[in-house]
Amino acid sequence: MNAFVDTPPSHDTVLRLRGLRAGYGAVEVLRDVDLDVAHGEIVTIIGVNGSGKSTLLKTISGVVKPWEGVIELKGENLVGLGVEQVVARGVVQVPEGRQLFGPLTVQENLELGSYSRRGKRGRPAADKMEEVFELFPRLQERRLQHAATLSGGEQQMLAVGRALMAEPRVLLLDEPSMGLAPLVVKEIFRTLRELNERGLTLLLVEQDARIALSLAHRGLVMERGRIVMEDGAASLLAADIQSIYFGHGGGRTDVTEDGHEKYPVVREGD
Amino acid sequence: MTGQQFLQYIFSGITNGSIYALTALGFTLVYNATGIINFAQGELVMLGGLSAIGLYRAGLPLPLAFVGALIIVLIVAVMFEQLAIRPLMAKGVLAQVIATVGASLALRTAAMMIWGREALPLPPFSGDTPIRVLGASLTPQTLWVVGTTIVIVLALQFFYKRTLTGKAVRACAVNPLAARLMGVSYASVVLLSFAVSGVISAAGGAMVAPISFMSYSSGALLGLKGFAAATLGGLGNPLAAVFGGLTLGILEGLAVGLVSSGYKDAIAFVILLLVLFVRPQGLFGGRVVERE
Ligand SMILES: Nc1ncnc2c1ncn2[C@@H]1O[C@H](COP(=O)(O)OP(=O)(O)OP(=O)(O)O)[C@@H](O)[C@H]1O
Ligand SMILES: [Mg+2]
Repeated sequence: MNAFVDTPPSHDTVLRLRGLRAGYGAVEVLRDVDLDVAHGEIVTIIGVNGSGKSTLLKTISGVVKPWEGVIELKGENLVGLGVEQVVARGVVQVPEGRQLFGPLTVQENLELGSYSRRGKRGRPAADKMEEVFELFPRLQERRLQHAATLSGGEQQMLAVGRALMAEPRVLLLDEPSMGLAPLVVKEIFRTLRELNERGLTLLLVEQDARIALSLAHRGLVMERGRIVMEDGAASLLAADIQSIYFGHGGGRTDVTEDGHEKYPVVREGD
Repeated sequence: MTGQQFLQYIFSGITNGSIYALTALGFTLVYNATGIINFAQGELVMLGGLSAIGLYRAGLPLPLAFVGALIIVLIVAVMFEQLAIRPLMAKGVLAQVIATVGASLALRTAAMMIWGREALPLPPFSGDTPIRVLGASLTPQTLWVVGTTIVIVLALQFFYKRTLTGKAVRACAVNPLAARLMGVSYASVVLLSFAVSGVISAAGGAMVAPISFMSYSSGALLGLKGFAAATLGGLGNPLAAVFGGLTLGILEGLAVGLVSSGYKDAIAFVILLLVLFVRPQGLFGGRVVERE
């Protein structure tokens, strides 16, 4: 394991994975994944299409059941818990493709974000919603609009805002830059950094290595379900990302299974 | 046909239409949450009617027999979900739909063994002295049916639009995975949908029993009409289901008046076929509920 870390805010591990294996049916996707995320850290996992990034986040969230291995939140075992129990413990996911409730209003989407906190002590949902509106003022203007009618960027803001309503201890983000113009991505990533500076721990999964590493403290490269490289974000950025990326993985396409175009991984001469 | 007669057929259409509306609501609530078309929905209506009759004959006062029928059907609907639907969750919607067909046969057989083959009556909730309205006569039972239907629709509307649980049910209908990621238990939403749909159907059955007798086999036709009404509305929209039910009831009433009572039951078939051929998404079906 590479010891270099850009800015380690703290050393106490929030999320800990050991020897994680998971897959679909008989097909193994995650092969022996180890990962530590410290409190206040931004860790990113980069990898090409189909390398298993979404599967990793789904496994942490309890959507995919692990075959073997350890998932711990501050020492508490998460393996075997239902999806809703994992959220209730503060591991909250912003899923790939945003997955908003399209026919429901912006406000209703946010209210549903706080569903896992209902009946629990903590800040009232209305206060949290105010905070989300402060982070993303555009959502406030559109709070009575159906989520499906938002622009792509606004939808991603809503997806992040909805997850924040659950008062996450660790926020899992699956390709938040997907399909968005660079300027919008910058805006959202600025907000993510701000959230991190207030103490939120982030685990970010991205195909776009450059933008992910510009935000993260630490990066891991995933290839065919394995972590093949790990380093501080600055050193990964400084290294020739293209050779890291294409040295192993081989071909990738810019189109996801559902036909959406993806944001290019590495823009030439950018 | 005179104006009075016309009004009379409309009244009768609205009464029957309210029952179809409640049955259609039952279909819609379950379909929205699960994608399942519950072929036992009509049997739940029948069970509501026969339970009310049974409890009344056992000596309970009418209001208690009504509430008792709702509780019985609630229990049956919950058991049905737990025993027939939940174990098939991983097998997919088709297996679950087939389970509902099985459940409908089982419920029909059980009803026949308990209440026999004869169609049984129930007295009207508050007498049968008709009220004159513009020359047409309105039975108090019609007011009960329409009033209860309005209360149920308003209560549902409040539940789905104003409560967090109701919003969670709608969220599940749109995107079950995302709803689970927000901490909503999909299994609970499915159970809740079956329970609510059972109670609503039971209310329909218990209220219609004083108007048309109820027998173990009444569920088939009631189910078909409720399904036609739900399809007319687009099978995903509760208010449209209510509209579909009332439309079907009024068309039936007019067919009886203008043509012959022999054609009454054919209307539902014609509507069902027309909708399926001409406008499969229903009258209001701009939105087809997408499921994973
Ligand atoms: N529900 C599923 N059933 C079967 N196989 C699946 C399923 N979901 C993903 N896979 C397979 O698992 C592998 C990893 O997919 P995953 O979605 O985790 O990759 P990813 O790194 O997130 O890719 P992308 O960048 O395209 O989002 C792929 O080979 C994919 O085909
Ligand atoms: Mg993915």
